Amino acid sequence: MDNIMLDNAPLFLLAQLIPLLYMLSTGLYGADFFKSWSPAKTYKQPTLIISIVTHIAFIGLLTAPEGYRLNYSIPMIMNMVALTLAVVYMFIEFSTKTDKTGFFVLAFAMGAQLLASVMLSASPGGGPAFSGLGIGIHLLAAIFGFSAIAIAGLYSFLYLLLFRQIKNNRFGFLFENLPNLEVLEQLIKHAVAFGFLFLTITLLAGVIGSAQSSEVINIFDPKLIALVIIWMLYGASLFIRRLFGWDTIHMAYLLIVLFVFITVLVVMMSIFSPTFHGLSF
Amino acid sequence: MNIISVGVNHKTAPIEIRERVSLSEVQAKEFLSNLIDDGIAQEAMVISTCNRTELYVVPGMAEVNGHYLKEYLIAYKNARKEVRPEHFFNRFYCNTARHLFEVSCAIDSLILGEGQILGQVKDAYRIAVETQSAGILLTRLCHTAFSVAKKVKTKTRLMEGAVSVSYAAVELAQKIFSNLSMKKILLVGAGETGELAAKHMFQKNARNIVITNRTLSKAEALAAELGTNQVLPFESYKEHLHEFDIIITAVSTKDYVLKEEELQQSMQKRRLKPVIILDLGLPRNVDPEIGKLKNMFLKDIDDLKHIIDKNLEMRRAELPKVQRIIDEELVGFGQWINTLKVRPTIVDLQSKFLEIKEKELERFRYKVSEEELRRMERLSDRILKKILHHPIKMLKSPVDTADNIPSKVNLVRNVFDLEEQNQLKQ
Repeated sequence: MDNIMLDNAPLFLLAQLIPLLYMLSTGLYGADFFKSWSPAKTYKQPTLIISIVTHIAFIGLLTAPEGYRLNYSIPMIMNMVALTLAVVYMFIEFSTKTDKTGFFVLAFAMGAQLLASVMLSASPGGGPAFSGLGIGIHLLAAIFGFSAIAIAGLYSFLYLLLFRQIKNNRFGFLFENLPNLEVLEQLIKHAVAFGFLFLTITLLAGVIGSAQSSEVINIFDPKLIALVIIWMLYGASLFIRRLFGWDTIHMAYLLIVLFVFITVLVVMMSIFSPTFHGLSF
Repeated sequence: MNIISVGVNHKTAPIEIRERVSLSEVQAKEFLSNLIDDGIAQEAMVISTCNRTELYVVPGMAEVNGHYLKEYLIAYKNARKEVRPEHFFNRFYCNTARHLFEVSCAIDSLILGEGQILGQVKDAYRIAVETQSAGILLTRLCHTAFSVAKKVKTKTRLMEGAVSVSYAAVELAQKIFSNLSMKKILLVGAGETGELAAKHMFQKNARNIVITNRTLSKAEALAAELGTNQVLPFESYKEHLHEFDIIITAVSTKDYVLKEEELQQSMQKRRLKPVIILDLGLPRNVDPEIGKLKNMFLKDIDDLKHIIDKNLEMRRAELPKVQRIIDEELVGFGQWINTLKVRPTIVDLQSKFLEIKEKELERFRYKVSEEELRRMERLSDRILKKILHHPIKMLKSPVDTADNIPSKVNLVRNVFDLEEQNQLKQ
């Protein structure tokens, strides 16, 4: 496959622009958080929106020659992870009206995008590409779901950090700048709810997609089993507080452990189970 | 035109001296009226708070200087035995302006960045306006000071963060709970400290405040003052501990009023929902072991002082920014003062040219028609405006320093042969 980036000037330009926009967004959120720089406060949200819109335009342009079918190569998945982290964060920011945690989430998005851009510039093709609305939604929802899970883990970490700071009378920089414990708790809940919603969509779309497909899906595929386990764990975590009277501290520990577990699981699956639920791509 | 300021404050005099020269609103009005009526001041203002009494005066007579004003105030207060001129500071002209700017934005205050002083300066200006002792100079000075204070408040962090124990308690509570109006608060003790903390909570929209005190009537009085009217008998309040998200204790007691086992039980009833206990008592009112309980934040006065120290440090770090804002405004104020000095020359210049115009037009009054005369008048006005534009612009030039204004004024007056009687009064 020819390198589409080198043949398409707008695509090439966007590929360079997106990491720069993510760096700018992260920098502005960081400048607001660490330095309380007033222009950063004013421009960070518009910059994030521009970054997301540009990113979507880039993906559209990149996938247009293949009928808007996403290639699920590692760089493309990282590219999508960056986008979904930014999108999920933006939804959380709008829904909770809290903009003080952007730096932490966008730093991850920026890192993923930088790696994705470097890898995509070298080799934009590769990886399986799927047709059909169901399978497309299945994969996109999975990426959104994992991004939300990552954000829930991150917020849980920030919650524990602030909790310890207050307990131990360390009224320093983080005490001053992080949102209060109740808001962080709210952010965790939103992220978990997003994660659960997208994982549910992933499962439903997967079922519908497989019904439409002529090929037989291996229901014992480790990825599939892992997805169902993760979905059940997150679903339970939504009700665990009410069911078992857990406090937010325990929830935060659980979500961090789940995030680490899921990350390890996904890496292991990619290494030891490279096929897609046994399908022949 | 000079502005003198003299006064006593926490930097120059002990509290008994400051108390001795302080002026009530009625006294301040009388004092300002005397200064104006006796011809001592063209303009005058007095700021009198618990920490300072300061006079700002545009002298009305040549002999009026700082020493004169100190003696005048000491005599007015009949305090010659206790108060000496050495207790006063004394500033002139731009230093007076700088001092008022520093006072207004609270960098001259005992507590750096405290929020009350601007209101007190505004009150002082209001009193001066009411007694008609504030003229063009003091009005401009005060409005610039208000603008400095506003800029400092919006562009720096000088006024951020709690610097009192009771306010630090509220700040801490807000770092745990996002909305105090949704939280139930128990105040144990209706003394001064508890009252202050409850009022700070009230200012942050906390409305569900329940008060308990050994003397029930005191609790009822404070509850009525806050408008909550919620009291609990001191004998039975512990039965309701689990209902409260924030507990503030401020009572005089040798023994702990809240013990570990009582809070342990209440936490079980609350299903471990977080609680913050702010122990503002000295000696402490709450068993320190309670702090080890799950989801229990126990903070005493020493803990809250950590917050205060950190906030004061942060405020001190903002001082260079504040000084930069003051310097910028001081330059603008100095330039405005300079335009005051050239104003008589500008007026004389305009009058002289208008006089010439009138005389010349008068010669044509009966030689041309009404319409033609009006046209000639319009033409003359346009020519005068263009001729005067540059000399006036040069006189008003903002880059001038006070030193080169007299030579420039003299040059213009000599070139245009302006009469001497209207010349600048220095």
